[in-house]
Amino acid sequence: MRNGLRVQLRRPSTMGQAIEKPKNTRGTLNKLLRHFVQSKGLLLGLMAAVFLETLTSLISPSLQGQVIDSIKDRSWQWFQILLICLLISFSLNVLFTLSQGILAARLSQNIVGRMRCDLFEKLNHLPIPYLDRHSNGDLMSRMTNDIENISSTISQSLGSLISGGLTVLGTIAIMFWYCWQLTLITLITVILTAIITQWMSKKMRSAYRNRADALGALNGHAEEMITNYRSVAAYNCQERTREEFNTLSDQLTKEGIRAEILGGSMGPIMNGISNLGFVIVAAFGGYFALKGLITIGVISAFIIYAKQFSRPLNELAQLYGSVQTAMAGAERVFALIDQPDEDKNGTEILESMKGEISFRHVNFSYESGKPVLSDFNLEVKAGQKIALVGATGSGKTTIVNLLMRFYPIDSGGIYIDGKNIMNLNRDWLRHNTAIVLQDTVLFSDTIAANIKYANPNARDEEMEQAAVMSNCAPFIRRLKRGYQTVLKQAGASLSHGQRQLLNIARAILANPKILILDEATSSVDSRTEQSIQDALVKLMKNRTSLIIAHRLSTIQDADIIVVMDQGHIVETGNHSELLKKQGAYYTLYMAQFAGEQT
Amino acid sequence: MLQYLKKYRLYCLLAPLFMLGEIAMDMWQPAMMAIIVDKGVLGGNIDLIWEMGIWMLLLVIFGGTCGILCGVFASIAAQNFGNDVRKDLFSRIMNFSFQQTDQFTTGSLITRITNDVSRVEQMVMMSVRSVVRCTVMFFGGIYMLYLQSPRFALVAACGLPVIAAFVIFFLRKVSPLFTIIQQKLDQINCIVQENIAGARVVKAYVKEAQALALFSKANDQLCIVNLRAQTALAFLNPCVNIVLNICTVVVLYIGGITIQTDGNITPGQVMASITYLSMILMRIIFMANIFQTFTRSSASWKRIREVLETKPAQKSGTYVSEKGHQGEIEFRNVSFSYPDAPDNPVLKNVSFQIEPGQTVAVIGSTGSGKSSLVHLIPRFYDTTGGEVLVDGINVRDYPMEVLRDKIGIVQQKSELFSRSIEENITWGTPNADPEEIRRAARLAQAEDFIQNTPNGYQTHVTESGHSLSGGQKQRISIARAMLKRPEILILDDAASALDLKTEAALQASFNRELEGTTKLIVAQRVASVKNADKILVLDDGQLSARGTHEELLKTSPVYGEICRSQIKQEVNAS
Repeated sequence: MRNGLRVQLRRPSTMGQAIEKPKNTRGTLNKLLRHFVQSKGLLLGLMAAVFLETLTSLISPSLQGQVIDSIKDRSWQWFQILLICLLISFSLNVLFTLSQGILAARLSQNIVGRMRCDLFEKLNHLPIPYLDRHSNGDLMSRMTNDIENISSTISQSLGSLISGGLTVLGTIAIMFWYCWQLTLITLITVILTAIITQWMSKKMRSAYRNRADALGALNGHAEEMITNYRSVAAYNCQERTREEFNTLSDQLTKEGIRAEILGGSMGPIMNGISNLGFVIVAAFGGYFALKGLITIGVISAFIIYAKQFSRPLNELAQLYGSVQTAMAGAERVFALIDQPDEDKNGTEILESMKGEISFRHVNFSYESGKPVLSDFNLEVKAGQKIALVGATGSGKTTIVNLLMRFYPIDSGGIYIDGKNIMNLNRDWLRHNTAIVLQDTVLFSDTIAANIKYANPNARDEEMEQAAVMSNCAPFIRRLKRGYQTVLKQAGASLSHGQRQLLNIARAILANPKILILDEATSSVDSRTEQSIQDALVKLMKNRTSLIIAHRLSTIQDADIIVVMDQGHIVETGNHSELLKKQGAYYTLYMAQFAGEQT
Repeated sequence: MLQYLKKYRLYCLLAPLFMLGEIAMDMWQPAMMAIIVDKGVLGGNIDLIWEMGIWMLLLVIFGGTCGILCGVFASIAAQNFGNDVRKDLFSRIMNFSFQQTDQFTTGSLITRITNDVSRVEQMVMMSVRSVVRCTVMFFGGIYMLYLQSPRFALVAACGLPVIAAFVIFFLRKVSPLFTIIQQKLDQINCIVQENIAGARVVKAYVKEAQALALFSKANDQLCIVNLRAQTALAFLNPCVNIVLNICTVVVLYIGGITIQTDGNITPGQVMASITYLSMILMRIIFMANIFQTFTRSSASWKRIREVLETKPAQKSGTYVSEKGHQGEIEFRNVSFSYPDAPDNPVLKNVSFQIEPGQTVAVIGSTGSGKSSLVHLIPRFYDTTGGEVLVDGINVRDYPMEVLRDKIGIVQQKSELFSRSIEENITWGTPNADPEEIRRAARLAQAEDFIQNTPNGYQTHVTESGHSLSGGQKQRISIARAMLKRPEILILDDAASALDLKTEAALQASFNRELEGTTKLIVAQRVASVKNADKILVLDDGQLSARGTHEELLKTSPVYGEICRSQIKQEVNAS
């Protein structure tokens, strides 16, 4: 009997998933092939193993048939020799199956491991505008789902694909060699299989898609209602929500039954066709044997061969779906890998940065036709503390995006120490600036590693000094493992204020010439804010600082306050000058401290 | 579980019955072929061959039909079962108190209602189909083999335990590896997630290379474990096959010897025996698969049952009031602690009273218990000591719907639904007329930006409101509460993302339009609370002071500190 079983532990069935089609199959295939070629040795080994495995599995039934014949003919010598040959053939087959499995595993891990690394490297070098335009979830799913699909397809399907094709061809060839008449009759089942598979899979695809849609709708509803349960309960909407859920659930059940019946029929139908092959071989084989065209042994061999080619046909039909899904995934992965890197132009490195910043006639827009900054000019001397204030959408954060070369400007120029930043080495520019953002960013690592993030070679004393300066030393000391505490889920166990203090400690240890604080304290309560403020004052000493703020209390001691409105500077000056002017700043200030009196 | 299946017992019985039909047909085939070979071919009887052929063809059609019908009934049973479980689960969750949803966690409840249900559904499907199929084919195969020759059955009996041992050995070896793989995958996803979300920081500190090194390490580890698991699995099939093949050779050998010596076996029987043999031995692998599915699904079923067996924690009261709109709130010696930290009270002995129509603000630093305090009013949580009264009646005495109808609460985190903006505003009041909706939006300072969206009120809000800014989400939530025209309006730090101008306008509209409504405002900014009739200052769960802004500035050191940190230079400047 043919080694006709495949244990699938990980993915019980790909049938339940909606099948996706790649758009540019040939291009994707070419790129995939390039990845395969990189593991040439393994690929060749795998091919050889598959070939030999198929060969032995083709020989075995024929040997078995001859054994039966020798039993019938009572030629015992021959019987024993044949039996030993059969045993050898079986053993070789097992050996090649094993090497095929091992090689396929290696190949898939090699290719997928490399792809994952390539993808991650690309993610790291993608320009910020690209990241801003694409949802994190979408990028994540390429790393997880898509790569996973490719991986399992290579490891589980590649061998089956090759051996399946070889088996079908080889089997048919051998069968023809034995008895072409019986072969032609048997091939009826192949044609039947092909027709029915195609017809069924078309029906199934639409049924599965409908079910996937229904399931998506139901899951979406459940997720939303459970996540927003407070609003459901507070507004007494449980009954309505339940009715909605029941309707969706009934819908899913209807689609589910339809899909399952269709999918479940596939097995019995294929089984029926395979049995039909059995009947054909038995009846017609018997007839031919009686006529003396073939021997009984040939019937025995034919039964195995007929099974042998119907099985890979079934498999190929099923694989078609998962290969398509994997190809669609590969296409998405390659689309991302083919994205251009963030621009790295500029080579100039100054001996040391003083920290003078100037924006000269800068024009910028995120979407063409909607200017965010127009003819923006700003001069900052080294060591000055500059505050940018203004309503949301006035372009404050944009300044940071441009200065850090996250986004390219449309025209004009930004200069640091008199040099256009586009001519400066990008990494050098960033090394000399540090940012603290409103949304804190921490990594799942120890607190020490997070503080040392910018400067991994810093000594522990330096790190602790930074922690003291940023006022986070007291709460770190209270943690059981102190600086060695491992943060989980971006520091979810810490309060927002504590996370922000860690971000500041990191900036201190980076020891930058230019410091940018983008709404660093806006989502922190006022008492925590006080300690952050204190930390910031120390941090800003001897550095050029750009502060973007929403709360005016944070910026009153800035050297220059720049009030922005719709991409223009409306006013500049220090706190008391601007208050005296009674202009835009005054209005903002009064609104903030006087409540509704405006 | 049986209780859910009871309704569909007819289908549960019919499915295996038809399955038996299919299997019987499958089992019959090799025996009939043996007759063709032995009596037809060797006996030279053509008519018998054709007769048998036609019989076999009929059997194929009959068997196929049985198979399809079995599938039909099995899916009807399994899907309807799943549907019932799902509905019950959801209905149960909708009656949970927040304490219970907190305990289960939102994520886990969602997985239970989605993944776990479909897993159990699959198990039911499998039970009525594969289990029966597997068992019958296994024992039927043994019986048929025994009929051909007891000696062959003995061969199968020797092969069986060996295969079983192999299967168990490899599964034992591989299963823990899959747990590790999952962990490594999570680790990789975590790194990717952090680096995408923190891209600005990674780039600003030029840490691309370091991140890649970290990722490569995790990736290599994943690849190694993956390789180990797949290599182990690669051994399973060949090992099973070698046993199967050896058994085949032994059967052939015994068959040959027997025919040679006493001849009470025919070549046809030898052929049929080989077919039966593989039929039996293959079942072991299927059984292993079924076993795995069962273990996984019984864990799922356990998780489902946990939810189904949880009784709603809060009892609804029965008090019926004739009095209309009021809005009086009173806290009498209220203490509160969360169940997971009973020794760490969030509120300690808080008492105060709010007259109808008053505007009262609650201020205090993070963790002082502000949110917990307002959550007690609509019974999001129940007090652990003392009582909360609305309109002079303990909140526990009201029917839940009546109590919550009186209250409009806007939470810190806006909860929006993926529907149109209008449907989001009318969430609690589905029958509101357009004029009313507009008014609520106007009062919430939301009208301007709504009209600037592409489809105005009909604009679709994407999943959890990603398409809107924080301030916009908050204003939609406020409009939702306003539309309800509640007796009591609670804003739980719900205007924090608004700029100060908008917040001021919002407060002005409250004072103008919601005169009769009691307004309870939790806030962090002094500017937001300054003009309240009364300010409650919470400090570490205790009510440390109450009064107007001016009074508190004089009397409360805590309030003074909060003010100073926010308005420190105001005094200097003016």
